[in-house]
Amino acid sequence: MTNLFTKFLESLAPRFLHRDDEQLNPYYSHRDYRQMWGMGIFVLLTTCLLPLFLMTLIYYQLIERSIDTESLLRTERVASNARRAVTYLLEERLAALTFTVNEMSYAELSNHEFLSEVLRNLKLGFGGLADLSVITDTGKQVAYAGPYPLKGKDYSSQPWFMECKQNNICVSEIFTGYRDVPHIVVAVKSQQPNERFFMLRATLDTARLVQTLSTYKTGAHADIFLTNREGVLQTPSHYHLSNSDRSTLPVPQFSERTQTMTASDSEGQPIVVGYAYITTNIAPTPFILMVVKEKAGMMRIWLDLRRQINWFFAASAIIIAVVIIMTSTSMVNKLFRTDQEKAHTMMVAERNAQLASIGQLAAGVAHEVNNPLALINETAGYVKDLFTIKHQYQEDPELVEHIDSILEAVDRCGTITRQLLGFARHFDVKTQRIDLGNLVSDVLNFHKKEAEYRNIGIHVDIPENIPLIETDRGKLQQVILNLVNNAFQAINNGCSLDIRAEMAGPERVQLSIRDNGCGISEEHLEKVFDPFFTTKKEGKGTGLGLSITYGLVQKLHGNISVQSKTGEGTTFVVTLPVQVEKDSV
Amino acid sequence: MMNLLLVDDEKKFVSMLARRLELRGMQVTVCYSGDEALAAVEKKDHFDVAILDVKMPGIGGIELKRKLQERDSRMKFIFLTGHGSDADYQVGAKEAEEYLPKPLRIDDLIASLTRLDGNT
Repeated sequence: MTNLFTKFLESLAPRFLHRDDEQLNPYYSHRDYRQMWGMGIFVLLTTCLLPLFLMTLIYYQLIERSIDTESLLRTERVASNARRAVTYLLEERLAALTFTVNEMSYAELSNHEFLSEVLRNLKLGFGGLADLSVITDTGKQVAYAGPYPLKGKDYSSQPWFMECKQNNICVSEIFTGYRDVPHIVVAVKSQQPNERFFMLRATLDTARLVQTLSTYKTGAHADIFLTNREGVLQTPSHYHLSNSDRSTLPVPQFSERTQTMTASDSEGQPIVVGYAYITTNIAPTPFILMVVKEKAGMMRIWLDLRRQINWFFAASAIIIAVVIIMTSTSMVNKLFRTDQEKAHTMMVAERNAQLASIGQLAAGVAHEVNNPLALINETAGYVKDLFTIKHQYQEDPELVEHIDSILEAVDRCGTITRQLLGFARHFDVKTQRIDLGNLVSDVLNFHKKEAEYRNIGIHVDIPENIPLIETDRGKLQQVILNLVNNAFQAINNGCSLDIRAEMAGPERVQLSIRDNGCGISEEHLEKVFDPFFTTKKEGKGTGLGLSITYGLVQKLHGNISVQSKTGEGTTFVVTLPVQVEKDSV
Repeated sequence: MMNLLLVDDEKKFVSMLARRLELRGMQVTVCYSGDEALAAVEKKDHFDVAILDVKMPGIGGIELKRKLQERDSRMKFIFLTGHGSDADYQVGAKEAEEYLPKPLRIDDLIASLTRLDGNT
């Protein structure tokens, strides 16, 4: 199990993170595997997850908007139904009272027994009435039927009395009054022929009203109650201020129809409020019906669903991310492995080419040494011949001449071997200041014989003003050797090779090697630096010479370019910095 | 007496070799280039054997051999080379009856000359 998990983790981590092949670094085609891997993952993740994320977000918005609309509609429906019920309750009792006061005379109603009889009948017919009384135009109660000892009370200063006197009918707010019990006063004025009037007053039980309202209350997160037009609570509610009987909700704007709005409660929780100003057909009332629903309560099912969707989304995102990382890692690994193999081949090829150039050097040296050796051989042989064949050696001036010849040939060999040692030593030395003219001349020494033999004219033009350049002698020597070799292979006998140096700006030296050989066709020109590209016959060329030369010039922080025309010749231009930064070569 | 044409651009070497061959009773004509050799052939009737250096400025040994053969088809050839590589050896072996690397052993050269003389 642990083994499987370790394998899984390994499949996520790309190989280039743990590479231990520093020596291959210069041969890699891509240096920024980390960026390539990261960008791949980022682009794929963004492409896959962003649409999913946006879709989910839009879906959430749509759902929330539709839930908002639905909850507003539902609240309005409840408020509307409750309004009808309350209006009907009040209207029914007002109508009964109006009927009674119109049908019965003042004399009849001011009779206590008669009034008690009327109350009994009204209770039987409609219910919800607590008592009934007759009040004269002076505000004095002349008859009373009911459970409280209120006979003879003076109501002339009561607000409902004033209102009824003025409007002929009134519905009071809920108040406690003389009896100390919450109630609503409903009063109807009756005008008498002698300019006098009396009022028939009934008090309504608030319990009936509260019970009617509570039937419209749905769920624990809903509230339904009445306030007056100043926002003072008329029936119990959760939404009241702790130190007064006012509602925490603001008094809504007047409207004849049932309205809804969204608001926040005192704790900042979002709520939906439905309200209606209660007005009967017979008389206006001071009541505003309020239906309040907590949004969180209505959203609960959706929130649960949303949590599940979020989990699903998170799990999908993790799976997508893992798959993308695995795919990206696998692709980058494949690329890296190919590049690594190529880099390894290039490194081996460069080493082989170095060995080959040393071999070529050795062959050149052998040839150079052979000629003086042959002379030594012949001269010494001749001296020996003089001893063995002619027997005339004493005080012979010719003999001295031949011995001088031998010494001269030995001296020539010494020069060649010193040059060889100088050349070989340069393979070990890293950065040093070198004279370009000397270096070119050293390299050409190895081609001198071939040039003579093939009648190739070599023209070197390296002006005095070219400064010493700081570079790796061995590498530059190999670059020039490879380019000269290349030119020698391209040209026919009797052609010429021009080597010229000039300054390319104050910091760079430009070395051009131009031949007037067969040239390179346009289609081949762009590939000449590609590894394994060759126009030679199978088995004749490796196709690595120019590729290695290119790599070496890069290592020397220079650049190399080629211009060629078929039949006219080829020019290779190497540009090198005069000075290199430390630790760069 | 064997009549030899000796061609090499290494003047001291070739003159020394000529003296040694002369000591051994041969008649040697020394030339330092292909052109000189061609001129010598024009002047003289016949050389038994031409000893040619493969690499020379101007006309090289192999080209010179063809030109000399055009002028005297009986002439035999020995190639000398200082390079001694496989490639040179193959060219030498193909082009000439005898092929000798420098520095050469005089006995080998005499042996080659004797062989060529015997074949005549």
